[in-house]
Parts: sequence; C-alpha cells; structure tokens
Amino acid sequence: MAYEPQYYPGATSVAENRRKHMSGKVEKLREISDDDLTLVLGHRAPGSDYPSTHPPLAEMGEPECSIRELVEPTAGAKAGDRVRYVQFVDSMYNAPATPYFRSYNAAINFRGVDPGTLSGRQVVEARERDMEEIAKFQMETEMTCPALASLRGATVHGHSLRLPEDGVMFDMLDRCRKEGDVIIMHKDQVGRPIDKKVNLGKPMSADEAAKRTTIYRVDNVAFRDDSEVIEWVHRVFDQRTAYGFKPEN
Amino acid sequence: MADDRQRKFAKHMEIKYTKEHGTNKMEGGDITDKTVEYYRLGVEQNPRKLEMKKAGQDIAKKRGLVGYNPMMHCGGIPLGQRALTPSFLSGTDDMVEIDDLHYVNNAAMQQMWDDIRRTVIVGMDMAHETLEKRLGIEVTPETINHYLETLNHALPGGAVVQEHMVETHPALVDDCYVKMFTGDDELADEIDSQFLLDINKEFPEEQAEQIKAAIGKTSWQAAHIPTIVSRTTDGGQTSRWMAMQVGMSFISAYSMCAGEAAVADLSYAAKHAGVIQMGDMLPARRARAPNEPGGVPFGHMADIVQTSRVDAEDPAHVALEVVGAGCMLYDQIWLGSYMSGGVGFTQYATAAYCNNILDDNLYYNVDYINDKYDGAANKGTDNKVQASLDVVKDIATESTIYGIENYEKYPTTLEDHFGGSQRATSLSAAAGSAVSIATGNGNAGLSGWYLCMYLHKEALGRLGFFGYDLQDQCGATNVLSYQSDEGLALELRGPNYPNYAMNVGHQGGYAAITSGAHAGRGDAFAVNPLIKVAFADKLLPFDFTQPRKEFAKGALREFEPAGERSLIIPAK
Repeated sequence: MAYEPQYYPGATSVAENRRKHMSGKVEKLREISDDDLTLVLGHRAPGSDYPSTHPPLAEMGEPECSIRELVEPTAGAKAGDRVRYVQFVDSMYNAPATPYFRSYNAAINFRGVDPGTLSGRQVVEARERDMEEIAKFQMETEMTCPALASLRGATVHGHSLRLPEDGVMFDMLDRCRKEGDVIIMHKDQVGRPIDKKVNLGKPMSADEAAKRTTIYRVDNVAFRDDSEVIEWVHRVFDQRTAYGFKPEN
Repeated sequence: MADDRQRKFAKHMEIKYTKEHGTNKMEGGDITDKTVEYYRLGVEQNPRKLEMKKAGQDIAKKRGLVGYNPMMHCGGIPLGQRALTPSFLSGTDDMVEIDDLHYVNNAAMQQMWDDIRRTVIVGMDMAHETLEKRLGIEVTPETINHYLETLNHALPGGAVVQEHMVETHPALVDDCYVKMFTGDDELADEIDSQFLLDINKEFPEEQAEQIKAAIGKTSWQAAHIPTIVSRTTDGGQTSRWMAMQVGMSFISAYSMCAGEAAVADLSYAAKHAGVIQMGDMLPARRARAPNEPGGVPFGHMADIVQTSRVDAEDPAHVALEVVGAGCMLYDQIWLGSYMSGGVGFTQYATAAYCNNILDDNLYYNVDYINDKYDGAANKGTDNKVQASLDVVKDIATESTIYGIENYEKYPTTLEDHFGGSQRATSLSAAAGSAVSIATGNGNAGLSGWYLCMYLHKEALGRLGFFGYDLQDQCGATNVLSYQSDEGLALELRGPNYPNYAMNVGHQGGYAAITSGAHAGRGDAFAVNPLIKVAFADKLLPFDFTQPRKEFAKGALREFEPAGERSLIIPAK
C-alpha cells in the first residue's frame, strides 16, 4: 500500500482545508494571465526577458558534483534568474489562507522556495520564474479570495483590521478596490501605480469564505471544538518538553 | 463563565473605538462590530500628530534644513489611513496618545530606566571589618551615621578630603543619595531615620520577616548616583562613581590616611567584592557594561518592581505591573534601541500594558484557577497546585483559547493588537503568569508560555514575526532542562539568555511569570531581597509600586524627572 501523507490532524472543515492547502489539491477558481501577474508583482515589465544573475547553468561549466547530478535544477535556476519575491496578506476574517498554510503549500509542493512566515504577511522568495509559478498557483486557486487577501510587498497593515462595508481588506496604500462585482488591482505589490487595472476576479461570499478558510474562529469553526488538533498540539508540547528534560530516555 | 464575564477592556475599547478623539470620526458603533468605515483622514485627525507636524515645520524654518514631515510617509500617504486612536494605560483610566508611549516622548519611562541604571547596592560589613580588624577603628551606629552624612555630601560630587577641588552643583544632582538597610532591627533603630530604608515600615509584616531573615545581620547601602552622570556615561559608571565617593567618605568619616593600604581594601569591597549590580556585564559580542538593560535578570526585574509590597493580596496585579515595567525596559529600550535602533518596538510592548486586554485575560485565568483548583491563584503556599504538565496544559490551554476568542468576539481588541507578535505577547504572558501564580513555580509558568505559543499558532495559522519560530517553537525543550546552556531557573534567566537575545515581546512576559510565581506564594522577593529593599524607597523619582500609572503620567506630561539641565542652559 502506497504511503498517503496525512498532513494535518482534525475533524473540522478548517482542518480539511489545511490538508488541502498542504497537499496542493486545491480547486482552481480563476485565471490570471501571465502579463497581469507580471504587472501586479511589479518586478519587471510584462513581456520582457527575465533578468539574470548568472549565465544558464548549462553554459557555466559546473564542477563535477554528485549533488548536482542528483538534483534537477528548477527552471529559474537553470536559466540563471534573479531571486524575487511574492508576498501575501490574508485577512483574519476568514481569508482562505493563513501565513503558515501558504508557507506549507509552497514548501511541500514547490522546489527552490524560501518561505517566510509572519503574522500579517507571508513571503516566498525564489528564482523569478519559479516564484511566479507559485504566485499564479496560489492566486488562481481557492487559496486566495481577492477581497480577503492581497499582494503587498511593503506596508502590509490590515490582516487583523475590521473589514470595510465592501468587504475588501483594509490597505493603507489602497492597492485593490471592488469595481462592480470584481476586485481590481491598480497598483503593484509595493504600491506603484500600474498601467492598467488587473481583474483579480470575484470575491468569495461570506459563506464561501467561511467554508474554505484555514483559520479557526469562534464565529465559524471554533478552535476549542477541534479536539483532535488540540490533542495533537498537546502531544507535540509533551514530547518537546520531555526531550529537553531527558533526551537519553 | 467566559461568555457572561464583564470584560475589563470593554470600557477602554468603547472610548477608543466608539468615541471621537481629535477629529477621527470614530463616533458610534459597537466594540463587537466586524465592519467599520475607514475615513483616511491622515495626521490631521490627531492632536499630537498636528503638534508634531507644526514642530517639524518650525524646526525646518529655524534651522534651514527639513526635518519631520508626515507627508514623507509612503511617498505622500501619511499615517492615519485608519483612525488614529488613543490608548489607556492598563489598570488606570488614563488615556494617552500612543506617540507619548515612545520612551523618547515619555519622561517617566526614561526615569524608570535611569533609576535602575544609576542604582548599585554595596555591602557595608566588609568595610567595617577592614576598619575594625585591620586598623582597630571602632565602628558604631554613630560613626555609621556620620559616614552616611559624609557620603550624602560626597556621592553627588561634593569634595571631602582635598583642597581646591571642583564640585558638581547640588541643584543638578539632587536626585543622588545613599541610604542603608539591615536585617538587624537593633542596628536599624540606631540609624538616623533619614538614612534608613526601614524594612519594617516599607513592607507588610510577613514580608518584612522574610526579608530580614534572608538579609540577616548584614548591612547594605543602596546608592543612586546622579541621573545626569548615568545618562552621560553608562551603567558601568554606577559602581565606579559610587566606589570612588564611598572610598573618599570612609577616609573622611573615619579620619584615615588617604594613601594607606586599607583604602585599597575598601575600594575593592566597594567596586567588586561587596557589590550587587542591577545587571550583569554582557559578553563581547553585545559589549555592554554592568547595569545595562541586557544584563538585568528577570528575577531582578521582578524585585525592582514594588507592587508586591503594596498589593500583596493580588498576585495578578503584581505580575501585570512587572509586565509593564519589563516590556518597557526590555522591549522599548533594550531590544528596541540598544539592540536594533529605530522606533518600531514601542507597540510590541504597549500591547502588554495598555487597554486592559492582557489584564482581562489574566484575571479570567485567576477565576478559572480558583474555581477549578480550590483557590490556587490566591496568595499562599499551602493552596498551590502541584506543577505538572497536566496542570500546565489545562491552565494554559484555557487561558489561550479564552484570549483568542476575545479577539474574535471583540474585533476592536484584534484591531488594537493589530500584529501577531502583540497578540502572542499578551496571550502567552497571561497563560504563563496564570500557571506560575497557580503553581508558585516560574518554570512551570514558562512551560505554559510555550504551550500558549503552540496553540496560538495552530488556532490562527500565524504567530509573530520570524523570531517567534526561532524562540517559541523550541522553547519548551529548555524549560525543564537544567544542564548548562540549556536550561536555568527562570528567575536567573535574562535578556541575554540563549534564544532570548533578539526577540521582542517576550522578556517583559518572562519577568512577569517570574514575579507571578513568587507573588502567588506571597514571597517578599523573587530572587534578591537586597534589590527588593533598595527600591522600596519613596525618594526615588520613579514610583516602582505602579509603573503603568507612572508611564501614564509621563505620557500626560505630568511626570517630574530628575537630571534636568535647566540650571546651566539659557532660559527660554
């Protein structure tokens, strides 16, 4: 019988969604074109070549190395791309993703990634085209609601703030707006105006967000009600404590 | 129980988020609302920001060089896109501007640290033995009084032995003095009251007995060098300045020869053998002298704060005042300035001592503990619950979930603690302090702190900034290990402890957990009775019985600091 990764404990919808994010088996909900993605990321002009920091690996004449032979370079590494970032902010009001589960998703399902996990933002650094692959994946799937999550390279304040009436998470730099029934982005990640409004798709309804979210909330799925997760946390705690006390046992 | 409870933060949240402050338009609504309108009013909405803006303009005009200009923020988008709201110091009804909780803008905060840094405790017994056994000089209460009178002239910078000396102006160093204390009631009775820190008077009877038993018949001086000297030099200066003046005063008071060899023994005692510094020297890579904040152990911090002697029946209050003092010193001054620079650390700290959010969580825990563990959160030693992992898990889990659910039921509290590091500090300080109060065991409290971090991370899918992974995911492993460099009694850990050295939002909490363990037991002190007595002194400019109230006075510009230079600068 083949090993089936379990990923995460818990018997609730939140736990199930966490398992989906970690496994990468998430539903695709929208399309973001490559040019639109490039625009909102703000690292290069749409259609331009990827700037590189070294020649393609094939031209580098690398030394003989068993590790190099074992590990297939990512596309970005092969091409010599520079390292660039994508950074998400997810609202605590039932945004589908949370920083840790964005990081787990990136680290488990993609290679050559360097995720950073904070409370109000989550960054992934990678070779540029590899990073774009992750950004596109997370933006197009149920991991992201365009109203409750946004791309923010800097000035990220907002994940814990009450929502305005239109349901679009507070952004000091006002990078995203609701226009009609869709969310548009008219500035790039760091707040520089971009040439066109990028359509990020329809926001999730409150019910849909509550169904797809990976955050426990007392007004949706309360943490205290997922006893299996709490039991598992206690087990981790017990074991870390005991290990430090008497590692030889 | 949790749902029926009147939240201690409710009043503060209501004023902060449903009443207009300045012109921020925060009128109406409810603290449980999940939506709000953002008016993007910028700095114009807030009285203090307007004052600062005008000051920036005046400075630019006067000096011909631009300075503070709020429009430099984010390329022309000023602060205040969300409402700028005031804060309350927890445990008080004092409403302040949040800018006034940066230590640069708060004279009380500066003075708290000044008063710690400029303090050193020096034993008297070694010097007396040198005088008596080596030189045959009789030491009596009368000679001690004379010596103390001499030293109170010399310590601020008065000459006692030599002709043609420059001296410091008394009006610039009026905060400098020395007092003595002893566990010997008979000797204490003979000491002029102006020089005596009277343990029997300053402490409740039960605590006084504990302290006198710990100190025994020994005698000590609590010396406070001038604030102005301490600010101009560093913490290492405190013992040197004191030792020089102590040496001179012994020479004068006991008519010694200025060059005789015994003076070297007196100096050695004053500089090394008989000295208690408030903080240890730091290793070369952090390169700080003694009496700098990175060397102040959590147990010392717990003893410096004096709430335990004025409100001994309320261990939670004791811990909360230590949180306030500890977060201010360790987060705002030590990590925020000494270690990192910049201004951003302030709000990591203020989350723990503003708006009663942490207070509410801890007092809920006290009720929970008292209900479930037969009054274990009350002061006492016979009522404590045995420290076990099961008890840690029970109390810390309940505390954490209660605190997290408050953020969800009261979105204004989540908005107030807008960063995960703030929430982590508040939640873990509540959980850790509760466990330590219930068990009387600081390391059990520390264990509760780390469990809280695990639960918080899993509940919300987020914790604090990167450092919380470093420190808080591996912390449980060194709670109960006492092997060198892996574990230590919490009382003896400090800001430079491995893993603690560069992580804001923790150290004030650790100090509180330390104090909670001892306040919960009714101990008179956490680790050092001498430090507890040295700060039991109303003459100090900063009132260590109520740090949070003092911070409010500083923010309201009502605090009178020491070490001012008005006397020697042009009048304005």
